[in-house]
Amino acid sequence: MIRFILRRILAAIPIGLIVTLGVFALVFAMPGDPLRELAGDKPIPAAVLAAKRAQYHLDDPFIVQYLLSMKDMFTGHFGTTFAGADIADQLRLRIPVTLKLATLGLVFQWIAGLLFGLYAGFKRNGVMDRLLLLATLVVLAVPGLVLYFTGQYLFGVELKWLPVSGTRDGWPMSYLLPAICIGITGFAGLARLTRTSIVDTANSDFVKTARAKGLGEQRILWRHVLPNALLPVVTLMGIDFAGIFAGAVLAESIFNLPGLGQFMFQAIKLKEGGVVVLLSTLAFLMFILINLAVDVIYGAIDPRVRNV
Amino acid sequence: MTVGLALLLSSCGDGKSSSGSGSGDKSEIIAIAADPLEYINPLNENGSPGIQVAMAVFAPLVTTDPNTGKLQNVMADSITPDKTSQTWTVKLKPGNTFQNGQALTAKDYVDSWNMTAQGSNAWKNNGFFSKVEGYDALNPPTPDGATPKPTSVKTLSGLKQVDDLTFTVKLKVPFSQFGLTLQYFGLAPLPEEVRKNPDAYKRKPIGNGPYKMAADWNAGDDIKLAKWDGYKGPNAPEAQSITYRFIPNADTAYNEFLAGNVDFVDVPPTKVKTFKSDAPDGWVTAVSSGANYLVMPAWDARYKNPKLRHAFSMAIDRKAFADLVGLSDPAKGLIAPDIDGYRDNACKYCDYDPAKAKQLLQEAGGFSDPVIISYSTTSATGQIFAEAIGNMLRQNLGLTVKYSGKAGSDITTLADTRKLDGLRFSGWGHDYPSIEDYLTPMFKSNGDANFAGYNNPALDAVLAKGDAEPDQEKAIKIYQQAEDIALEDMPLIPLYTKSNAYLHSAKIEPRVSKYVGVSALYATFK
Repeated sequence: MIRFILRRILAAIPIGLIVTLGVFALVFAMPGDPLRELAGDKPIPAAVLAAKRAQYHLDDPFIVQYLLSMKDMFTGHFGTTFAGADIADQLRLRIPVTLKLATLGLVFQWIAGLLFGLYAGFKRNGVMDRLLLLATLVVLAVPGLVLYFTGQYLFGVELKWLPVSGTRDGWPMSYLLPAICIGITGFAGLARLTRTSIVDTANSDFVKTARAKGLGEQRILWRHVLPNALLPVVTLMGIDFAGIFAGAVLAESIFNLPGLGQFMFQAIKLKEGGVVVLLSTLAFLMFILINLAVDVIYGAIDPRVRNV
Repeated sequence: MTVGLALLLSSCGDGKSSSGSGSGDKSEIIAIAADPLEYINPLNENGSPGIQVAMAVFAPLVTTDPNTGKLQNVMADSITPDKTSQTWTVKLKPGNTFQNGQALTAKDYVDSWNMTAQGSNAWKNNGFFSKVEGYDALNPPTPDGATPKPTSVKTLSGLKQVDDLTFTVKLKVPFSQFGLTLQYFGLAPLPEEVRKNPDAYKRKPIGNGPYKMAADWNAGDDIKLAKWDGYKGPNAPEAQSITYRFIPNADTAYNEFLAGNVDFVDVPPTKVKTFKSDAPDGWVTAVSSGANYLVMPAWDARYKNPKLRHAFSMAIDRKAFADLVGLSDPAKGLIAPDIDGYRDNACKYCDYDPAKAKQLLQEAGGFSDPVIISYSTTSATGQIFAEAIGNMLRQNLGLTVKYSGKAGSDITTLADTRKLDGLRFSGWGHDYPSIEDYLTPMFKSNGDANFAGYNNPALDAVLAKGDAEPDQEKAIKIYQQAEDIALEDMPLIPLYTKSNAYLHSAKIEPRVSKYVGVSALYATFK
């Protein structure tokens, strides 16, 4: 097991390099000059522009800029954003916000996805199954932006049940609405996968054999169907967990939660390569850790993959 | 019985009012739809959110009287030019202090301005001082890629302290409008303890204005201000306390207002059609100080003939275009309508007349190449506006039109290096309310914002004459001649002037002035 974990961590290093280099290259290739973009229509004095360009290494060649931001990152000298914010301060402020939002969002997403998926899978082709399938289709078809603003208007502005935006009401009140929105936009995929997986497993030969042997339905369900049906579901839940950061970009921007997603959005908008790479690295590390955890859990629930 | 009824009525009027004595709680929450500020330092700030907060914490030398539009002294006792308008003497009122109790003196202005003029500090209002004698010594040319070094010269030779309350500013050339420029909030002084270590005071500014920081301000917090008793200037606002809340998403900020959580918000472009029904009793509009143009590339010989430019201008249905933009009016000249010297009949070639336009195009020899219109892909409306103008040129002049979407700053860079092919949009808002602040930046041959790369020595000469004319009325007449020249040559085709709309709660009535626009800071309380 230790060797397995070590192997995965070692393999992550070259992937990490490729990911950070790729992300940095993408930001570098984005059109527009960040400092001019920041100034709008107003002219910037040449001396000011030169000083700012030097401060952020913007005149250096691409690879030098990349290496300098990697050096800053590994030595903990995060510096400031173009707008003057201390990046270390920002991380201290924003990481807890994103963690709170992500956890709550995942709880909603997983509970809704698993409940709907399991129920529909067991009662397949019933009225509820069809209704749930339709509901997941609607949710998949509605763009997140529309859903988020509708939720904000309905529950925040009209009904006043939940805060419109911001973190002033603390945890969990401030996070409920965005987390429910994340849950709604994200649960459909999980629900459909769970349902299909259960249907597939229930129809497989070993379940028929179990039934032929005369095992009770409850035992078939809990001992034979569920453990096998949940394998792909665990994988998807892992990917969901790691990808929650992407969902946070939209939710944090619309609900004005000062988390990493909002920070990422600002950084991309302003073409701040260093910040984007820093945040991507954080997301990447989380991805690696969660994937590792999923692999370990996988081994625990499926003995077949333990020695792969 | 009467008492009971009165209490009942007073509690109905406004859900937020405090105890029944009649003196309501004079606090307001102002939403700013922008990323949170990271510091408050007026000298290193030229964006609207930063200047908005600086207006509460700092006080300028002079300001525009919101009722008369005339210049009014605030920290200054007098600002007088010499005979040529080249050297200006600023006398401060005695008795003003900073919020740390330290007296406000001429030295504070001179030292703060010298710091800003030093190019290696990279403070955003550095460019303001380029008119002052000695600026170049503090801002030597820097080779590409090099970091500007602090110069051995630390002070502007044109800036001199005379006594505790007096200093003089000598400009490179005469400039009759200099007094007006001094109302810019980006020129506010910093006290000595802040000047020694500006970074240490990024989040705890010490100003000289009507409000001081009321609470610690950490990253991500609202900015909370309380009235400062030491402010002795004119026009103290009514609010006892003000909270600035940053909500980067403008639609979210708008929803916060509708939910009753903030007292004042800007109407974002997406709500221009609905804001009046969303808040039927709580909206105000005012003409925004600025104007918007279509830029003709002066570096491209094909667009050189003024008749061709007039043809383009007269092929544009400005009314339809302004309706498309929303909350806008067709432009009738090159300057904003709220500026002294604005004439609503300045432009002779801005009426929609397709027949005349066609005739002018013929007289100019026609235009056979495709007209390329560049638009900013970072703007949500860039492409729509470009296609609207393109369709008018196509239908009314029979031209072929192509569109090119690019990042806004890429278009600027291409235009700055004279490599942009075709037309683009631009807009300008003044830094100080003078007709001159439209003409010099955009039409003087070395103007800061000469979008078209336009150059006409005759116009430069008229501007210089206006700059040297100490009588403001006469100066405006001279500047109007410059506007006429620019309209004849038409490097910029006037398109529209925009109004801004704002929503306010029942608790406040924002100040609306035709000279300085809408202000929540100066709201009155009901």
